Amino acid sequence: MELVVTNAIASAGPAYSSRPEDIGWFILALPLFASLAIALFLHRNRTLTLFFSVGGVVTAFFLSWVLFFTFGVTGLKAVPSPFPWFHAGGLHVNLGLAVDSLSSVMLLVVTGVSALVQFYSTAYMKDDRGFARFFASLSFFTFSMLGIVLSDNLVMTFIFWELVGFSSYLLIGFWYDREAAADAAKKAFLTNRLGDFGFLLGIILVWSLTGTVQFDELAAKLKSDPHSLGVWSSVAGLLIFCGAMGKSAQFPLHVWLPDAMEGPTPVSALIHAATMVAAGVYLLCRTYFIFQTTTAWPAALAFLGSISALDIIAVIGGGTALLAALIAIQQNDIKRILAYSTLSQLGYMVMAVGVGGPDAAMYHLTTHAGFKALLFLGAGSVIHACHHEQDIWKMGGLARKLPVTFRTFVIGTAALAGFPLLTSGFYSKDAILVAAVRHGHPILFGLGVLIASMTTFYMVRLVLVAFFGRSRTSSAEHAHESPIQMTWPLVVLAVPSIGLAWLPLGDYLTEHFFGAQAAGEAGGLFGPFNHAPLAATFGTGAIIFGAWASIATYWNAESDPLPRSLAFWSRVSRNRFYFDEIYEALFIPIQDGLAAVCEWLDRWVLSGVLVRGVHGTTELAGRALRMVQTGNLQTYTFLFVGGVALIILIAL
Amino acid sequence: MLTTLLLLPFAGALAVLLIPANYRVILRLVALITTGITVLQALSVFFAMQPEVAGFQLVEQAAWIPSAGFNYHVGVDGLNIGLTLLTSLVAFAAVCVSWDIEKQTKLYYFCLLLITGGAMGAFLSLDLFFLYFFNEIALVPTFLMMGIWGRGERKFHATYQMALYLTLGAMLALVGLASLYAASGANTLDIVTLNAWLAQHPLSSSSQRLLFPLFLFGFGTLVGLWPFHSWAAPGYAAAPPATAMLHAGVLKKVGLYALIRVALPLMPDGVRTWMPVLAVLCLGNILYCGWLALRQRDLALLLGNSSLAHMGFCFLGLASVSVTGITGVVVILVAHGLLAALNYALVGHVVRATGTSDMDKLGGLLRPMPVVGFCVVLAFMAGCGMPGFANFPGELGVLFGAWDRLPLVVIFAAWGGLLIGGVYMLRAIRSLLHGPVRAGLEGASDAGVGIALYWRSLPYAVLLVPLVFFGISPDTLVRRIEPAVIPIVKAAAAPSSPTLDTKSPSLTSLSPR
Repeated sequence: MELVVTNAIASAGPAYSSRPEDIGWFILALPLFASLAIALFLHRNRTLTLFFSVGGVVTAFFLSWVLFFTFGVTGLKAVPSPFPWFHAGGLHVNLGLAVDSLSSVMLLVVTGVSALVQFYSTAYMKDDRGFARFFASLSFFTFSMLGIVLSDNLVMTFIFWELVGFSSYLLIGFWYDREAAADAAKKAFLTNRLGDFGFLLGIILVWSLTGTVQFDELAAKLKSDPHSLGVWSSVAGLLIFCGAMGKSAQFPLHVWLPDAMEGPTPVSALIHAATMVAAGVYLLCRTYFIFQTTTAWPAALAFLGSISALDIIAVIGGGTALLAALIAIQQNDIKRILAYSTLSQLGYMVMAVGVGGPDAAMYHLTTHAGFKALLFLGAGSVIHACHHEQDIWKMGGLARKLPVTFRTFVIGTAALAGFPLLTSGFYSKDAILVAAVRHGHPILFGLGVLIASMTTFYMVRLVLVAFFGRSRTSSAEHAHESPIQMTWPLVVLAVPSIGLAWLPLGDYLTEHFFGAQAAGEAGGLFGPFNHAPLAATFGTGAIIFGAWASIATYWNAESDPLPRSLAFWSRVSRNRFYFDEIYEALFIPIQDGLAAVCEWLDRWVLSGVLVRGVHGTTELAGRALRMVQTGNLQTYTFLFVGGVALIILIAL
Repeated sequence: MLTTLLLLPFAGALAVLLIPANYRVILRLVALITTGITVLQALSVFFAMQPEVAGFQLVEQAAWIPSAGFNYHVGVDGLNIGLTLLTSLVAFAAVCVSWDIEKQTKLYYFCLLLITGGAMGAFLSLDLFFLYFFNEIALVPTFLMMGIWGRGERKFHATYQMALYLTLGAMLALVGLASLYAASGANTLDIVTLNAWLAQHPLSSSSQRLLFPLFLFGFGTLVGLWPFHSWAAPGYAAAPPATAMLHAGVLKKVGLYALIRVALPLMPDGVRTWMPVLAVLCLGNILYCGWLALRQRDLALLLGNSSLAHMGFCFLGLASVSVTGITGVVVILVAHGLLAALNYALVGHVVRATGTSDMDKLGGLLRPMPVVGFCVVLAFMAGCGMPGFANFPGELGVLFGAWDRLPLVVIFAAWGGLLIGGVYMLRAIRSLLHGPVRAGLEGASDAGVGIALYWRSLPYAVLLVPLVFFGISPDTLVRRIEPAVIPIVKAAAAPSSPTLDTKSPSLTSLSPR
């Protein structure tokens, strides 16, 4: 109860001062309040559960629009009232909010997709006995994610970063009595923890060099003195990137994301489309000023020379994008295909940050959130209709049976592939390719074009196999369109997949990062072909090639021809390049081995020889001298004092 | 006010003595009411104390043996204010989980209240003689409870081992206190007088360096400082839940509290010589005990080792000798006290419901026991440093505070806290709660049914709510703690005394790593 009260005070306190920026606290508190109310009091009442959960996130969505128009669009400075959190010695941490154009866009993305996913879940999770638990976890997840978005300092970001890890653990492991789900939840949490380890060290490093964890103070400090991070500037940047690697599932920490598909499908849509995985990219954009400092390496890493942290990030992003696209081509599970495509697109965004285009990355993040949520929810609808069949080769001919799902899915696919002029994906992808060309990364540009082509290939494959041809199983034969609660979120999401293309969102984000004069040149529907025809033409060519290759291979195919024609590569791709196996063989034995050594030491040296051995000898002595009842104690005393004396001698 | 708080548990113990042994319900009620009032009194003390003010508050004094300089002197400041609240909360929760004790009920509650009063006295006393005396008052009934109401076939061995280590540790500390009394020339063990006296007449450098390890290893053993940790995990596994809660949660903290209170400010040269040693030993707790926890298949042993790993963070904070780090330590003391008590209360429930704490025989318990299961998930998350629980700000303060002086140790400690801690806690949740329900455990009972659920979950709520509250708003603690830590760190970093022994090779270890 105290928890609720504190947060009620936290949100109610500033409201009396009637400062509009304090709406941010309300947006943050609403899902938390919903989650706690459901968990503590309402779990038996489905109606109230839905009222609080859906009501909370929908209200947060509308309040986000208020913030967007009051501060995001106008650029007015907003400083919501902070709360003291930890002030001791040189460490000063407040819980404070950053309300600016960046966070207000992200707020809309997170609350918008969360609201739709919650509506959708009311039907999808209807018969689950963990109904209330599901909505409580979903609301808590939204709360954690909003905390990352709104946080105005590194420590608070880390707090919510971890909470996102925890709530995704609850959601991925929602069906905890299934072994696979429980394992996947554990794996996701621990892989993320690995990234968080680097992230935390990065935060400590930045703090120790600059004395602050506040974003605005840090940015001001690094602007006035770009050398204040000294030789550690690039290392600090990379350590913070570690956090992004975990959450955004970048190579080599990408292994958790496909497994996380064990969670309910709405969770996949929420976590893997708009929120958790986007958090890493958002973090990079939020802390972009750290990467703009001069490149410097400590002596041990001096061989890296003029290679900047951003260069490394770009290569990791591009590599992840390529790797994931290669794997996606040979997956047969509809959710896994989408999971790897998410990985690939995240790599694209990270690459965009790396080549110096955080605005392009955020643009793609926003458009991707819409159409990827659409695709996942569409996949959920397909799975629901086919009685939980997820193998696309056991579907087929669904286009006529699921008309709404089919049409919206095709729109989502077109947006993901980047169909020119009509879809939002085209413009954001083009922005990334343009950034790569502009900042002199021809190889990464080529990689981007190649990946765009591969993306089209595997997405068209998915649509052709699942929706066209004849029904290959009886569950596909008897599929029926999902209920209205599940189809209308698809229709709603199809709108931004097209419509975002017509809004000046790209310019808006460019202005945030690079000022007003940099924005405005890319505008217009035909803008990409006018101001950077190279990127737009290559991008379009890639799509046409990918689509042609896919149609040629999979039109009316009864089974996948690739495993026969490209046996080795197909097998490697199907087995996800054996990363899980490699990790299992390498890292787990090391940790467990060290643990075994410690246990052996403890059992045989510390307790064994010292305690039991002494116990035995003293027992012998005790038997010989029956009168000396305290024999053991003396020996212990002797050993103990002797040991202490030894340590003193060594130290002095 | 403080005397009332100190006497309440003892009054309860006395009342228990006066009630006939077969009035079980009355005995339970007396214990419950006594600890309940203690909680209220501790809360009013907590809020009566002015935050952001240095120095002792609510002080009460009375002469006892003036000629020898021993006086009754109690007071609170940032270091002990949280610990007194912790003591009362854990005691209340410990009484709550003891409802099924049938054997020798009278003696049981007498011991329990004596431990509570002893711990409370040790934290409140500003005279070191009383601090030591109250700690001993609490230790003896601890062993008694383990021997009589303990579980497991090796309980006597575990009790014996624990008694041995703790007695020896306490003896070492006693030698240290006696030598301090003799060497200081202040003719008192009153902490206020002693601080003022030694600031003017510091001990010689060499005697500081000799005395300091007596405190470090004496009090350190009481906390389970590596390599003197072997008593802890098997000891707690064999103890009845309430005893484990009180010792791991409260009494163990006396050692660290005394180190901060006594050893740091009074012996700056000892600090300089020995903190580098402690910086290495703390990794023994964090990594070695963490890995030990990774290997345990018994829930109680796992938690015992994990608890030792947390103590490693406290030692790291001490070794940092920084305001941020030591403030973090004090936050951990309170947080870990609540968490350890919660852990052992929950293990107690699992054992009661299933008859075992062996994780190989358990599985899928979240289905039959959702309430207890969820508390376990929360507790284990707090145990691996999840924000939102009070442990996180404490450990964060330690890591930040130690970075400037011990960056390498901080890297290892962060690995231990985030990764090793994460692995064993998640593995434990996986094999204890997740997966399909083990055959025969489908009917394992949750905290209770219907209305009983609410009061049976009370002990968990009493511990969880402050754990979460201080996790969300650590400032409530920190603004009280920091003013008390600043003078201690200042004294611990005081320049070397005039009789500097320049030949000592250990001075080289002063240079920052």
